[in-house]
Amino acid sequence: MRRIGFLVNPYAGMGGAVGLKGTDGLLNEAKKRGAVPRSPELALAALRPLKESDIHFLTCSGTMGEDELQEAGIPRYSVEYRAPGTTTATDTRNACSIFLELEADMIIFCGGDGTARDVYDSVGTRVPLLGIPAGVKMYSGVFAITPPAAAEILKGGGKIAIRDAEVVDVDENAYRHGTLRTTLYGYAKTPYIPEMVAGTKQVFEQPDEERAKAEIAQFITEVIDGTPGVLTILGPGTTTEKIAEVLGIKKTLLGFDAIRGRELVAEDLNEKGILTLIKDEKKLRLVISIIGAQGFVLGRGTQQISAAVIRKIGIANIIVVATPYKLSRTPLLYIDTGDPTLNGAFGDHIQVISGYRIAQRKRLFQPEP
Amino acid sequence: MQTKILLDEEQMPKKWYNIQADLPSPLDPPLHPQTKKPIGPDDLKAIFPMELIKQEVSTQRSIDIPADVQDVLRLWRPSPLYRAHRLEKHLKTPAKIYYKWEGVSPAGSHKPNTSIPQAYYNMKQGVERIATETGAGQWGSALAFATMLYGLQCTIYMVRSSYTQKPYRKSMMQVWGAECIPSPSTKTKSGQAMLAKDPETPGSLGMAISEAVEDAASHSNTNYSLGSVLNHVCLHQTVMGLEAREQLAMVDDYPDVVIGCVGGGSNFAGISFPFAGDKLTGKHKDVDLIGVEPASCPTLTKGLYTYDLADEAGYTPLLKMFTLGHDFVPPSIHAGGLRYHGDSPIVSRLVHDGVMRGISYHQSEVFDAAQTFARTEGIIVAPETSHAVKGAIDEALKCKKSNEKKTILFNCSGHGNFDMSAYDAYYAGTLVDYEYPDELIKESLARIPKVP
Repeated sequence: MRRIGFLVNPYAGMGGAVGLKGTDGLLNEAKKRGAVPRSPELALAALRPLKESDIHFLTCSGTMGEDELQEAGIPRYSVEYRAPGTTTATDTRNACSIFLELEADMIIFCGGDGTARDVYDSVGTRVPLLGIPAGVKMYSGVFAITPPAAAEILKGGGKIAIRDAEVVDVDENAYRHGTLRTTLYGYAKTPYIPEMVAGTKQVFEQPDEERAKAEIAQFITEVIDGTPGVLTILGPGTTTEKIAEVLGIKKTLLGFDAIRGRELVAEDLNEKGILTLIKDEKKLRLVISIIGAQGFVLGRGTQQISAAVIRKIGIANIIVVATPYKLSRTPLLYIDTGDPTLNGAFGDHIQVISGYRIAQRKRLFQPEP
Repeated sequence: MQTKILLDEEQMPKKWYNIQADLPSPLDPPLHPQTKKPIGPDDLKAIFPMELIKQEVSTQRSIDIPADVQDVLRLWRPSPLYRAHRLEKHLKTPAKIYYKWEGVSPAGSHKPNTSIPQAYYNMKQGVERIATETGAGQWGSALAFATMLYGLQCTIYMVRSSYTQKPYRKSMMQVWGAECIPSPSTKTKSGQAMLAKDPETPGSLGMAISEAVEDAASHSNTNYSLGSVLNHVCLHQTVMGLEAREQLAMVDDYPDVVIGCVGGGSNFAGISFPFAGDKLTGKHKDVDLIGVEPASCPTLTKGLYTYDLADEAGYTPLLKMFTLGHDFVPPSIHAGGLRYHGDSPIVSRLVHDGVMRGISYHQSEVFDAAQTFARTEGIIVAPETSHAVKGAIDEALKCKKSNEKKTILFNCSGHGNFDMSAYDAYYAGTLVDYEYPDELIKESLARIPKVP
């Protein structure tokens, strides 16, 4: 029997319905505005199909898990964490630590980006985590598309595979003022069902994320080897990390690093560091991957790559990389450099390297100026 | 208002047109993959019958179609030429659009035009079995049909991704008595090597060719057969262009533009070579000959014109052609028949010399065109064919802009009745528009064998 840690952030999503664009630190305000909890209902939608499953749930008392399991009619659970009347992020983190001690195979949580970040803080990449979507903002890649889809993944048994998924941090204050500023917080492991794109003639989409990353890395490595003099900036992410690995370079997972040929020139650069480094370079290249569940190529959170940096590098010298799975989940890609003129220079479509000598042409969305 | 222009059976061509007779200078010879010296007939004897080897290098303008072959071709030939009145009206174009409809063959495409003579010449030489490869199954089913008629055994290596996802063409091969094996397989050394390197590989046409060639070379009763690329295949396909030229003459017309889709090139060669011959000999200097290829495998538009291997493992001769590199595995598009890294050496040469030209499209736009065609002319075309449809529609729309009354001919090479899942994907919005990142590839490319 699989042991799965299960917790609900009972307040997730409450701020959204009452116009607060998030609930972090504003629970009382949300309640005052008449917000009612919605995550328990969404958790139920994910639990009900699992009535007959082979899962033993490790959970928290009350609305943080137990109530939902009971209502779904699932008898196989044990309450391992006593939650107080009003729960906070600390409870999420503490519950997860206990689940890990009890050797949970996986953590399922019902919440939004904030909950994802709290779970990731505690769990890291030690076990996979999967989100039942219930938040106001869900820009992280750890969420199932719908609550029943989360159940499908859990029922998948032996068929499920594990991929890397971004956990992103959204600046809620900026968000409330109309600016989406996401920063990459880390990479969690998350389960998914590798799927063929249905009904095609030559259906072989690369279902295995590791394989797809290796193919992309092989190709980009050949490009870098073919142009050894060019200073290349590698953006954050596990695909770019794989490129560095093939090149024999140790790269920072979340930072922008600079390389020339197979040599690391500088790591974890900020905007100023990049501008200083590239000042006198004739030919430059930037390799970046798509961040977040919403498909940002460059978002306002990518502070290192400012409009000035992009202008110096040149749009034609930006190589965007992403696995086919990721691309199948992000029909639209976004660019928001913070500079409308520069955004416009990217055009309506963008080429994304998705395999060995293969690219996909994707529609590009730019925010209204 | 005539819609179908039909030839009588006795008007079916009795000779193929060999464009090698009209090339201003001979083709660059195929080279031996090891010695890099030009190959001779002896190098090919192990896998091809002598008549086909002769046709491969012949410079005689007309080559007789054997009476036995004509008998079989008459099962569906001459094929109809249609005037696309409804499509023209829909586009509001002053252009005249004609299409040669090859979906009437038993296999549903133009492929039997060459599988029949290939099987025939092998039978005449006492060969008992033929090995071949197939991508999406068009060629495999056409050869299964032909070998059955001449009492030969047939083994078909089918690209693995298609084998599992495209069951119906495999079923056709079975009906016609052929054996169909997913490639790479454990039956050949090259297949074993590819599987050892990558057990999960989806396969490619280049890999399947290697397996079929190895099978033929290692069995004395077995020959190899190729469904496109080679000169003799293009030769056999010229029945289409020869018929179309006659049919247009019946309505006092001659094309300004001739269009075909391009994978290995024989479909485009078949419809266009008779007109290319007219161009080379000065009879019709201005005819525009357009090969349409997928943006994901843009051999003519983004490839290099150089010597490269025709297969993955390196069993085949080096051919001078437009190529994306023999180790290029084209992405999984619906037009599986257009996924080939290289191109017919003759088509390549003519494109290189400016006699013909290539253009490329993304797959979602070619399905838009296929839908327009199905909703005007009724025929649901194969994804491969939809590239030619798109090319024809775009030319007709250009005529609308410039108010030119051009005559456009395109090869409507096959029906899509076994490709409905591709249309389903189109309507579900799950088609992926693949591209060939040529600029980056140029920076990375050092893999094509160097020929002095």
